[in-house]
Amino acid sequence: MKVSYNWLKKFVDFDLSPRELASLLTSVGIEAFVVVNGRFWTNVITVRVLDICKHPNADKLSLCKVSDGIKEYLIVCGAKNIAVDQIVALAKVGAILPGDFKIKKSKIRGIESEGIICSQKELGLECDSEGILVLDKGTKIGNPLEEVLDKLDSVIEIEVATNRGDCLSHLGVAREIGAKLRKIVSLPEIKTLNIPMLNCVEVKSNLCLRYIGSTISNVKIGPSPKWIVEALQKNGIKAINNIVDITNYIMIEMGQPLHAFDMAKLSSKQVVVRNAFDLEKIIALDDKKYELDSETLIIADVQKPIAIAGIMGGKYTSIDEDTSTIFLESAVFNAESVRRTSKRLNLSSDASYRFERGVDYKMAEFAMSRAISLIVDIAGGKVEAKEDLQNIKYENSKIILRVERVTKILGYTIEKNEIAEILRHLGIDLQPMGEILLCTIPSWRNDLKVEVDLIEEIARIKGYDSIMLSLKEKKSVNKMYCPNSSFLSAIVEEFRSKLKGLGFSEALNCSFSEIKELNKFDLKYYYKISNPISKENEVLRPSLLPCLYKNLMLNIKKGAETITLFEHGKIFNELGERKTFAIIAYGKVWPEWWMWAEQKIEPRYDFYFGGGIIKNILPSDEFIIDKNAIPKYYYHSGKNASVVYKGKIVGQFGILRPSITENVKGEVFYFEINLDLVDEFYVCKTPFYKMYSKFPVVKRDISIIADKTLKFSKIEKVIESIMKSGGVLKEYSLFSVYTDENKVGKNNIGYSFRLSYQNNVRTLTDEEVNKDMNVLLDKFNSDLGVKLREKSNNGVS
Amino acid sequence: MDNNIDKIAQKALEKIKNADVTELESLKIEYLGRNGFLTQILKSLSKYSIDDKKSIGSKANRVKNIIEKEIENKKANLKEALFDEKMRKEKTDCSKSFYFPFPKGTFHPVIQTIKNISTILKSLGFLVVQGPEIETEWYNFEALNIPKSHPARDIQDTFYLDGLKNLLRTHTSPGQIRIMEKQKPPIKVIVPGRVYRNEASDAAHSSTFHQIEGLSVDENITFLDLKMVLTEFIDKFFGSNLGVRFRPSYFQFTEPSAEVDMQCIFCKGKGCGVCKNSGWIEILGCGMVHPNVLRSVDYDFEKYTGYAFGIGVERIAMFKYGVNDVRLLYENDLRFLKQSEFNY
Repeated sequence: MKVSYNWLKKFVDFDLSPRELASLLTSVGIEAFVVVNGRFWTNVITVRVLDICKHPNADKLSLCKVSDGIKEYLIVCGAKNIAVDQIVALAKVGAILPGDFKIKKSKIRGIESEGIICSQKELGLECDSEGILVLDKGTKIGNPLEEVLDKLDSVIEIEVATNRGDCLSHLGVAREIGAKLRKIVSLPEIKTLNIPMLNCVEVKSNLCLRYIGSTISNVKIGPSPKWIVEALQKNGIKAINNIVDITNYIMIEMGQPLHAFDMAKLSSKQVVVRNAFDLEKIIALDDKKYELDSETLIIADVQKPIAIAGIMGGKYTSIDEDTSTIFLESAVFNAESVRRTSKRLNLSSDASYRFERGVDYKMAEFAMSRAISLIVDIAGGKVEAKEDLQNIKYENSKIILRVERVTKILGYTIEKNEIAEILRHLGIDLQPMGEILLCTIPSWRNDLKVEVDLIEEIARIKGYDSIMLSLKEKKSVNKMYCPNSSFLSAIVEEFRSKLKGLGFSEALNCSFSEIKELNKFDLKYYYKISNPISKENEVLRPSLLPCLYKNLMLNIKKGAETITLFEHGKIFNELGERKTFAIIAYGKVWPEWWMWAEQKIEPRYDFYFGGGIIKNILPSDEFIIDKNAIPKYYYHSGKNASVVYKGKIVGQFGILRPSITENVKGEVFYFEINLDLVDEFYVCKTPFYKMYSKFPVVKRDISIIADKTLKFSKIEKVIESIMKSGGVLKEYSLFSVYTDENKVGKNNIGYSFRLSYQNNVRTLTDEEVNKDMNVLLDKFNSDLGVKLREKSNNGVS
Repeated sequence: MDNNIDKIAQKALEKIKNADVTELESLKIEYLGRNGFLTQILKSLSKYSIDDKKSIGSKANRVKNIIEKEIENKKANLKEALFDEKMRKEKTDCSKSFYFPFPKGTFHPVIQTIKNISTILKSLGFLVVQGPEIETEWYNFEALNIPKSHPARDIQDTFYLDGLKNLLRTHTSPGQIRIMEKQKPPIKVIVPGRVYRNEASDAAHSSTFHQIEGLSVDENITFLDLKMVLTEFIDKFFGSNLGVRFRPSYFQFTEPSAEVDMQCIFCKGKGCGVCKNSGWIEILGCGMVHPNVLRSVDYDFEKYTGYAFGIGVERIAMFKYGVNDVRLLYENDLRFLKQSEFNY
């Protein structure tokens, strides 16, 4: 909401600039910015328009000759309301307007303009304005504008917390200023009129807490006086006619929304406040038809609804130029009911905004008197009747404040006298009882409910920044047991740091996906969002794949040749909410380089390279790579493997199914691991030094020939079984694969291994190595029918 | 004899000077070997008087040491020269481009920010705990003193699941309730994590973002402690002498409540576009835990008091790294991610 600096001054006396006032309001919890500041421009003078002609190159622009009494200027102007003989404001070349807008010499459609003729908006006098500012006829020319405009006002935009409905008015904001500056806030004076209390209202619903109605006859509808129009303009409210403007004026002045009906358009002399009937309808002031139900509170005449209570009046009972008798409403409605109705009808207004946040029960009466007084003054008329119906017996709430509790919560002491002073200036009535203060809360502070609310009031008005920090660090105990207190688990940290070294980038995706996307990957189990705002938020991601795949496609589109990403985060699938880690890799492993060019080495992230990375990042041999598990649908059926930890499959990797990556040139590697199943790994692990053999290693190379259909893992299993049997074979590596049928024979495949032998307690002899190797070869032959092709010594080290 | 020794020494040193590696070996034998000149002299000492024995013997020994040392030195010099030659031959154009098979890897700025914040807060005595992202209304709203009628419960702000039974947490504050349910004070924890808001995404809003919740509950925890911890945190994190201000605010689950502003790091408080000309940037919300929250976990709210705070990670990361659109953080365009400045 916006407040006027000058208007606030009518309620409370302060000596602060608009900027200082904004920072004072911020310091008490109303965030404030000066949006219109009539004090900040230079080089703007008053001039008279001497002559206007059309711009030769533009239909909508005109060329104006203006004079400051001594010098003439040629100005290009686009305003429609400019006319000869007007006094206007000219920002000369070199002028600075609000928003650091510097005026320079410039050509507009070929003609040089020596400045601009200003609008109120450009001068920062209004938030919005049409056309240029036209000054009074008698204004002297050639003077600085600020000397001519005597009543410069500033507008301050404020953000009021949802619990502080009482601050949605000038009076409310003034009260905060008064409390902070310890000054009295005065209400405007009103004439007391003798009004007959006559029945004119009937309240039939307890959603209406108080209803004051009043009938005024013989009012003369017309435009409002300038001071009201201007006040409304500053708050962004359009002036309509004197009656409507007065109700709006009082709303932004006092915080109490009012409404005026045209009595002649009602079908009865009495209005009824009741819940609507189901299917009852009303056309509101916004020209839209609203369907009501039994939970909607309305104002009605005997026949029909005439207003949606607290939200908007009906179109057919509104004030127009022929209105003569009005019915004026000042009421208090149930805040929750207004909010619910406003939500349901998707209709809100300045009034509903205030009712939702709670209005001052006692203010309703004062606001009515003020409105009557203004209406009689401005529009004339005779007050025929008034009725005040109170549905509840209002009592100010009382809170007990223990003075020592203030220190206990805040950690610093505020003297009892100062506490009392602050509370009194907030309008709280005090009854001291020893170390206890019995506080009576004013009717406008619905937000103060418990003791700690009062403690906040004290701290807030005293100023949060008035607390001096003592440098002494207070005890910081923590007796909690927490074995792994970090944002990322140890295994994620290990994955991250290794992958970063391998050139991967950490990605971060939103947790959502689209069903259409999931179908592509055959991800069938997902959590549906009940109320998504767009298709992008349809479901929670059941895997990290859809998002990472999207990232891949984006980067391919942007021309990246190597894309290596990893991500960790929650996924949501049949197992529930799961911590997951995944990597996606695509393209050339390394870019072209002058030294590789000769050797023609061009590896890509294929199944074996990717698998090598997985082997590298997995933290120990406890993670076993199993090549026989059934892969998820989205993997290539012939290029995949699983990661097993403690007998359970925890992850899978492989090349993505070609049907998925149809539009991608080359293969895409993907790996996903369930962290919930492996997080324990680091927690229960105590690292322990393993003795290594100090005796020399003997290396032997062997080449074998196997049937093409034989799974390599079976050969590996044989080697591993020999290693585990306690012999001297310690390590092996596959260093060559032969498929040339001329060399290995039809339907065969050849493998070359390097075997490392070592004895733990003494230097190996040749016989020992030969014996162990023969056991392996025999087993190859007997178990798998695999034959030796050649063997060689690889030197003894 | 003395003269003889001098002559031998002079000649030997002369020869060493010009010798190559093999010559050095024969010189060693010639002079210092079993039948070498100096060995011979030392062997023949018995011929001389006691006085001469002493003088000739010591002189011969001295010369022997000198020659020995010279030969070693010369050997070392020759070896050094060989390596010099090797290096001359191997010299390459060092200005050609270097090679490492993998491009530079990077960490994500949001994750790094969470880690950096956590590290500082851990040093201030907080433990890190985490909670689920799918929550119930009890943990996300009711237990935090946010009643059904509150605008924050409006359906469009919250993502609901399974009809309306569960929801995606809209803040990390449910972590407060979960930890307090589990144990009695003292508690001093932070809860970093992902949170969700059902709103259209733009430069400043994302439906998925991150927060770090802080909670400290014990006897005698005060608003002053809160102010000290947060001031310390901001000093350490931004590492600058920018001003910090506490401003009253409103949250349902804290009372008194505050928002903390930091002097704008772009204009140093003078006012610019980023800080809407105010000179200040809001960085977190905080306050003293509302008695109703303590009541909902059956704590004695007369005995225990506590503070809580919530830091918006993306906001802080964007300020720290000068990122002006939150969507950049979730797009994963490598041209953005590869900016290794984020690693710190």
